[in-house]
Amino acid sequence: MTDRLAGLFFVLLATAYVWLSAGYVAGFGDPLGPAIFPRVVGIPAVILGLTLLIWPRHNAVWAGPAALARQAVAVGLLVFYALMLEPLGFVPTSFVAILGLALLMGAPTLAGVLTAALAAPGLYLLFDRAMGLPLPLVGTWFG
Amino acid sequence: METLSALGSGFAVAVLPINLALIFGGCFVGTLIGALPGLGPVNGVAILIPLTFAFGLDATSSMILLSAVYYGCMYGGRISAILLNIPGDEPAIMTTLDGYPMAKKGQAADALAISGVASFIGATLATIGLTLFAPMLAKAAIYFGPADYFALYVMAFATIGGITGTDPRKTLLAALLGLMLGTVGLDPSTGVARYTFGSFNLYDGFDPIVALVGLFAISEILFFCEERSHGGGLVPPGRVFPRLSRLREGLGASLRGSLIGFVAGILPGAGASLGAVMSYSFEKRISDKGTFGTGDPRGVAAPEAGNNAASGGALIPMLTLGVPGSGTTAVMLAMLISLNIQPGPLLFTRSPDLVWGLVAALYLANFVLLILNLPLIGLFTRVLGLPAWGLMPLVVAISYLGVYAITHAAFDLMVMVGFGILGFVLRKLDFSLVPVVLGLLLGMDMENNLRRALSISGGDFTILLQSPIALAIYALTAAFLGLSLWLSRRKIVPDPA
Repeated sequence: MTDRLAGLFFVLLATAYVWLSAGYVAGFGDPLGPAIFPRVVGIPAVILGLTLLIWPRHNAVWAGPAALARQAVAVGLLVFYALMLEPLGFVPTSFVAILGLALLMGAPTLAGVLTAALAAPGLYLLFDRAMGLPLPLVGTWFG
Repeated sequence: METLSALGSGFAVAVLPINLALIFGGCFVGTLIGALPGLGPVNGVAILIPLTFAFGLDATSSMILLSAVYYGCMYGGRISAILLNIPGDEPAIMTTLDGYPMAKKGQAADALAISGVASFIGATLATIGLTLFAPMLAKAAIYFGPADYFALYVMAFATIGGITGTDPRKTLLAALLGLMLGTVGLDPSTGVARYTFGSFNLYDGFDPIVALVGLFAISEILFFCEERSHGGGLVPPGRVFPRLSRLREGLGASLRGSLIGFVAGILPGAGASLGAVMSYSFEKRISDKGTFGTGDPRGVAAPEAGNNAASGGALIPMLTLGVPGSGTTAVMLAMLISLNIQPGPLLFTRSPDLVWGLVAALYLANFVLLILNLPLIGLFTRVLGLPAWGLMPLVVAISYLGVYAITHAAFDLMVMVGFGILGFVLRKLDFSLVPVVLGLLLGMDMENNLRRALSISGGDFTILLQSPIALAIYALTAAFLGLSLWLSRRKIVPDPA
């Protein structure tokens, strides 16, 4: 089933990709223009996607509801980390992200808090101060 | 002679204090990463690339560091395979077959030592092979025209990963997906914005480094959330120093394994996994007396020599043709391209310091690794006791700070997370990630060669089939695809990550 879905996804994606390429024209200089390569790539992708849709071979096994929930929370934490790194600064966001991920992966609460409390400022000191990579210590929200 | 003097000047580069420090540091970190279950060389190198960039190392030093990490990971992969029965990376799967039984019989120290020496023999012989054959291939490759390069890229995409046993259609689709992602951004020859949907953030396209860290490191996190525990149990390594008589038992197997692994490494797309599988099967065929699979030292030596020799061999097509022979060399190619260094036949004449400095560094790295891996093995085995919940969040933090330090843009961190989710879904669906990376990396070059060839012919596609070199490459490609279809029917080779 998942192979059929993947095949369908590739057929739709590659069709849209080839269709959009029709809009890419250059007036001069290049005889074939910027649309030729997307066609060379997109058309075989449509065909291969179709074969996967018609003759699937593999069925992915997804995790149970508990693991899927953990993965969703993990993605949430990763997005939070990306969006809040600048507004909040490196140390507080890293603390939250490391703590959250550690707990998610089964850390005992106290050990998780300790790991995050040591790692967040530790990484900052190591990379910003000792090795000279500029990281935002204080986020834009705090001036 | 010419090669020897070039190698000599390479050693002069490699022994600079900064490079020596990078070799030591890289070997140490690499062995650690390799020993950790779940983190292989691809992840290790992918996580470190943004950092190397951020530190502003020059191209030669960056490559030396990454290669030391790469070799170190290949050495380290065997530690968890032998002591935990968990291969640290895919090629180490074969090492579990006889390594773990040896450890259970109380011969863990012997198994670790035999595999360490076999790794050294394999990697050193492959480095000698690299020294001898790479310049020859580079000279031959000078005769390649645009149509031949296009054929070469087709071969790289059609063959990489295909041999390892996933559905070859998926490998091709993964490569095409990478090529599609690679066309996002301004077209370099005409300046037309393609697939940017009006977003200025996408005008430069997707940064391959950001995509790599997402695909490999971030997707790994999602896998860890799924299966929180590791099976198996840690076997204590016991005595540190093995008996010399045990080391001798693996010697012949190491030599045979090195040769097979080296050839497997050069083949585009085959890489270390095939090297390990082929060396093990060959050794089993010629010397098995019912002892293989129950802790035969030759069953440990052969695949370890094979996978380490393959890692050296895989550098040959990467450096001389710009077509990587394995997943990790694909990641290293990303590094070179991002440093504005075009790998390929001219690399040897344009940047001899880089090529020969790197080769010399590999010889030194092998000695460093042998030294690290025999007496210090107890140190590395302690890493196996560290819990995943402590390590994986740190991998995330290091990925974020590395990517942020080179791009300074929250947008790129989001792109990284997006690629992480994509990587997770693709791996779940049994698509390998290496072709995606290759597509993203080589897409622009492939497109330029295609357009150059077509503008020579005035738009006539038959020019792609007119050169004998291109025809030979297409024939090889067809043979590889046939072989991978056959292998995927037999399903003897374990699935890649």
